[in-house]
Order: sequence, then structure tokens, then C-alpha cells
Amino acid sequence: MRTTEQLTRIFGAEAAARVSTARLLVVGAGGIGCELLKDLCMAGFQRIEAVDLDTIDLSNLNRQFLFQRRHIKRPKSEVAIQAIRDFNPGIDAHARQANIKEATFDVDWFAQFDLVLNALDNLEARRHVNTMCLAAHVPLVESGTAGYLGQVTVIRGGETECFECHPKPIERKTYPICTIRSTPSAPIHCIVWAKNYLFAQLFGERLEEDEDMTAEADADNLEELKQLREESMALARLADAMGSPEFARVVFDKVFSFDIARLLSMPDMWKHRQMPTQLDYEELESASAGSDFDPSSPNTHSHLSLADAFALFKFTAGRLAQRLVLREWETRGSLSFDKDDEDALNFVAATASLRSYVFGIDQTSIFETKAMAGNIIPAIATTNAVVAGMMVTQAIMVVSGQVARCHTAYVSYNSKRPRSVLSEPLAGPNPLCAVCRRRYLTLRVADLTRTTLGDVVDYLHMLAETENSLSLGEDISVVEGSRILYDLDFEDNMAKSMEELGLGRGKMITVAREDLSDIEELPVAATVPVVLSIAGPRVADGALDLDIEGFGTIPEFAPLPPPRPEEAAPSGDQLHFADDDVAVVVDDSDSEVLGSSNHAENVDNISDELAKRKLSDFGIRGGKAAKRRAVATDDEATISD
Amino acid sequence: MSGICRNRLMEERKQWRKDHPYGFYARPQKSADGSLDLMRWECGIPGKEGTAWDGGLFKCILIFTDDYPVAPPKCQFTPPLFHPNIFPSGTVCLSILNADKGWKPAITIKQILLGVQGLLDEPNNDDPAQTEAYQMYRKNIDQYQAKIRVQAQKFANTN
Repeated sequence: MRTTEQLTRIFGAEAAARVSTARLLVVGAGGIGCELLKDLCMAGFQRIEAVDLDTIDLSNLNRQFLFQRRHIKRPKSEVAIQAIRDFNPGIDAHARQANIKEATFDVDWFAQFDLVLNALDNLEARRHVNTMCLAAHVPLVESGTAGYLGQVTVIRGGETECFECHPKPIERKTYPICTIRSTPSAPIHCIVWAKNYLFAQLFGERLEEDEDMTAEADADNLEELKQLREESMALARLADAMGSPEFARVVFDKVFSFDIARLLSMPDMWKHRQMPTQLDYEELESASAGSDFDPSSPNTHSHLSLADAFALFKFTAGRLAQRLVLREWETRGSLSFDKDDEDALNFVAATASLRSYVFGIDQTSIFETKAMAGNIIPAIATTNAVVAGMMVTQAIMVVSGQVARCHTAYVSYNSKRPRSVLSEPLAGPNPLCAVCRRRYLTLRVADLTRTTLGDVVDYLHMLAETENSLSLGEDISVVEGSRILYDLDFEDNMAKSMEELGLGRGKMITVAREDLSDIEELPVAATVPVVLSIAGPRVADGALDLDIEGFGTIPEFAPLPPPRPEEAAPSGDQLHFADDDVAVVVDDSDSEVLGSSNHAENVDNISDELAKRKLSDFGIRGGKAAKRRAVATDDEATISD
Repeated sequence: MSGICRNRLMEERKQWRKDHPYGFYARPQKSADGSLDLMRWECGIPGKEGTAWDGGLFKCILIFTDDYPVAPPKCQFTPPLFHPNIFPSGTVCLSILNADKGWKPAITIKQILLGVQGLLDEPNNDDPAQTEAYQMYRKNIDQYQAKIRVQAQKFANTN
């Protein structure tokens, strides 16, 4: 067969043989996934399983070429697998429409694959697969694209940098409440205000939060609390006017007049900022009366004039209110913002525009507002194709045992440089990584309803007497996700069963040394926390109630590097408040350098330097940001209008 | 959740247990399922001695996200306090809790709580978050101080 011949010439006979027998898992059958499945199939891989949660949408068809119009609403994984079966009828390929985080995809399930390939669109799933692959000791090819940027890397526990070795930039930017509510200075602040505050308060679900707070208050400060609460609830109350002809007017007067007047009553706030301007309902009403602007079909690419923004606000507020009122008024349904809901988008665009006029901020068009409100990054088919191709070459080298030859490769875009694909050898693991510097073992439990957390803790202590000692000492903590289940002064859950504690198959618990001795003085093995993946028993009959396996697969961990000098940690006098005139200096006398914070800073510096070195060598501007964005963002995003 | 976030919060807990400033407390909140929620810490901040806040113990919740420590936690007083830089919802407006201003991943929970304690008696007029407290602080400092003292008594430290 021609493919085999070509593979043999490029990668050697052994690699060609491994390609046809290796079992692969492809996570994601979207932008990168479609290209990847096609490439894997054409390169001669024979055993492929694809998992994807999604169904096919019209907006996928511009770049996910295994899908056609007639496939809309069908599961991506199934259609993609069927397509590659058509390319190669002999292929052993299977599809699952499922979330990769489901409990059935536990450590035993992952362990049946020789290689996992990620073609995902979000950080959370990437983190999950990264951890599962570490736990199952399966290599992972990780990928990501964002517009013209893309990257591919290979992760192998203990040998290479893992997905969480360095902190990722914040995926969805959050903005401080003060900036959004009182002092916006950029178009995005007005859009976030319009979408997450105004739209959510008026048309979204009512918040219960404030009621909880009152419950805690005692009788004599009730009056005062009521006042505070009223201020934050005033907007939600305006929703009661919904359905009346006055609705748009009361909302307008509140947010563009009354609230702005209240902000103007605080002159200090505007000492260093441009003062906002109150808007007047009647004035704008008469200004918009003579206009031929049609709020039912606004031009999405030009900026709204003040009068047009007003007309669009009035029109969409009425439409949204009507939709809610028509729906069960009694139970009061709610709307959540959807960028593809024209009324919702135009309402957000109009109110963001009005707010931008109030604060003297640049205008954005409805189209731009849609991209910003919907966190849209353009997806480019060519980038996905290049990245998928690079993944296949890495996959061939991994399955043929040549991880050392693998690379981290980037697709970049720079008109001054002729080369758009750059690569470098894989980096080693971060010795401080909170994910790959862990001892991954499998905890087999025969009966989750009978085995208690106490049994597990006792078992761990018992191991200390055997050759499989975990050397964690007497004081340990047991954590699952963000839940502390046990530590030295929290023993409430010891008698609860694994099932009662929600510790089923697929879950992982982290067991760490909790005593306060200095980590530097301990042997390396005693300082590395243990992660136990919960799985079923090996054999149905005669299995141990409780068993831990996998001691043979623990990699060797290097000792931690000595902590860096103190300059990294903030000292008290660096803690300033917002502006210069009032600076509160925190007493520095008892400040100390914490292992963790020092490390965090350390990690950050290291990764910054690495990133700078990696990309600045190639003349890419903003290399660090570009590189990280490529890892973090969404290859599914699409711009449509 | 992200491993980096979990690891850091467990480390913060260990360090707090080892040493924390007098009169403060900070612990993960108990959830309905009987576990402790690492993402929500119940904290108590004593008013500084010799200020109008003296004698009060002010309860707040630190709410962490998966992005911590790249992103700061939110600090919310429950119930909300009368203070120029505290929103009616109880959320504190403070530079070190603002990702675009003073937040750094190296800032510890201890430093956050000391920072918020400092803010109590030294409000920042440039970033008002509630009107009433801000106006009174500017226009009638005596009345403001009296009101703060009453508030401190209301939330008197009973220990």
C-alpha cells in the first residue's frame, strides 16, 4: 500500500507498523477535529475512537469539511467517523456523542489507548484530558488555534511540560465591578455593563442573594440595610414596569439620568476622569422623531448616532418586554443573553452605545459589539488544517516510541517573515507543577456504598508499613475538586461512604502531606502529593475491598530547586489603594515569604522568560500573548452576520 | 477545577494555620454536602485598635474562581457595611483586589485581609462605591465617625 511505503521511507518500518496497530482517541470533532480525523485516516491509522458532545450547526460548515448541510443537528462525532469510514472502509473507527468529563471515561477507559489527541475548544476540557492522561500514563498530543495562530505540543507525564505546568492567561476577561458600574473607560466596559448588568437585571433571573443577607442582619440595623439593598435592587424592580408603555422610559430615566446624576454628585470621582453627561429622554425622543432610522433593521456596520441608539433602545426594550410578558407573566420567565438573538443583541448594542455617549467613550458598531459581547474569535480553516497536519506527524513519532524527536510547533502570522511554522524541542516538566508533579495511582473500590472515607484513610496509613509506603506522614489532607473532605482538624466525613461523598468512578482525590515541617528537609518522595483515580475492582469476584495500584509507574521526581530570593513577593508597602492620594501601607513587620506565593511568582517569571525567548527569537510581536492565546482560546468560534 | 488553583488554596490554608494575624479568622466554608469549599472562605476582620472600627469583628466571604491566583478573589462583606468603598452588595472595591490594578498572584490571603482592614479606617475618596457613606465621609466627618462606632458595636467581637 502506498501510504505504508511512504511512512516507511519517512519514519522507518517500525513506525509504519505501529501506525496501523496503535489505538487512538480523538477528543473533539470540530474545527481541528475534522481535519485531524481525515489526516489520521489518510496517514494509515486504523483504530480511532472520536468523542464529541456537540451536534452540527449551520455555522460549522464553512470550515468543518466532513459535514454537509444535510448533517445539521446530527452528532459531530458520528458524522465525522462515518466520513472517514467512507475514505477507508477497513478502518476500525468508533464515535461517541458524549462529554469527555463523564464518569464512564475513567482512568481504565483512558488507559486502553496508546495515544490521545486533543482537538478541543475550551480550557476546562483540556485540563481534564491532561490530568486523565497523566493518571492513565498515556501520551497526549495537545492542539489549539485562534485566528491565524495555532500550536501543537506533546505531553508525556514526568518527561515533558504538561498542559498546566504554567498558568494560563484568564480565558474570559472579567472586569472590576467599580469600572463596570461607575467608571467605564473603554467600549468593552459599556458592553459588559449592558449585557451582564442591565440586560441581566431587567430580563434575567431574579437574584436571591440579597435576601440571604437580610436574614443575617439583626433588628436594629435593618433600616440601614434596607436602604443599601434598595439601591442594588432598584433596577430589578424596574422590571415590574415591563409590559406598560412607560417601561422604556423608566429604565432610561434610571440608568441614563438618575444614576448618572448620582455619580456626578461625587465630585472626587471625576477629579482625574472625564465627567459623564446625563441624557434627557424628551430631548432624544424629539431628536429621533424626524430620523428615517428603522430600528427593526439597523445597519450593523456603522456607528449608531445618539438619536438612533435611543430609538433602537426604545424599540428593543419594548420587544424584549413583550416577549417576556407574553410568556407566563405569573411565573415571570427570564431571558439570557444570546448573541444570535437579534433583540437581545440590539438592546445591548443600543444601551452600550448610549452609555458610551454618556461617558465620552468611542462607539462600536453592532457587528463589533456582537464580537465583543459573544467573545468571538475568528476561526480560520487553513490554520486548523496546518495544525491538524502537524498533530499527525507528532502522533506518528509518539506511537513509534520517538517522543524525544517530538516538537512544540507554532503557526504564526507575520507579514514580514516568510516562515509561518516554527518549532522547538519539547520543554521539560515544571518541577513545581501542581498537576504533573504528582504520584498518580489507581484506587480500586469494590463497593462504594460500604467503603468509607475512614477506610481509605486507614488504608493509606497502613501502606506506610509496607514496601509501597507513600511516606506522607500521619497528618494528611484529602481533597476532591475544590472540596476538602478530610484534614487534621476536619474529621466529620470519616464515617461517610464513598458514595455519600460523591466519590464514584472517574473522580480523583488528592492526598497531601499536611504537617508543617519544612519541605526542603524531607526526601523528595514524601513531598509529592498522591492523586488517586477512583476505579472499579479488577475482577468481579474475590477482588479486594480496597486496593491501590500503579506504584511501578511513578516517575522519578527531581528535588525542588531552592526558593528564590524574596524580591518576588510583595512587601507591605506595595499594597496601595486605587489612586495615589490615599495609600494605605500595611504593616510589614510580620510579612513572610510563602512557599506557594514565591513559587507562583517564580513560575510566572520562568514562563514569561521562556515565552519571550521562544517567540522573540522569531520576531513575533507580543509573542507571549500570542502563544498563550493560541493555547487558551476557542477554535469553534465563528463570525457570522 | 484547575490544579494550580487547588494547590495554591491548600497552601494558603496551611500557611494560615501555621500563622495568622491576631483577631482574624479565615476558613473554607462548609457546604451542604458536609465538605469544606475551597473556593469560598469565611473570614473575620477585626477593626483596628484606636480607630472608630475598634471592637468590631466584620464578617466577609472571599470568593475564588478557577482563574485564581492569576485573577484575584472577590471580597464581600456579609452583611454589607457602611463604608465609602463597599458596594451596597457588600463587595469591596480595592486596588489589590482588582486584576487591572494592584493584584498580583503572589498576594496572600493574609495580605488581602490586612489590606481590607486598612481600608476600613482609611477610605479612598476617588473610588466611591456607595453614595451615603461617601457623602457623609466628605461632608460631616464627625457624624461619619459616630456612625462607624455604632456599626462597630453592632458587629461587636463577642470572643
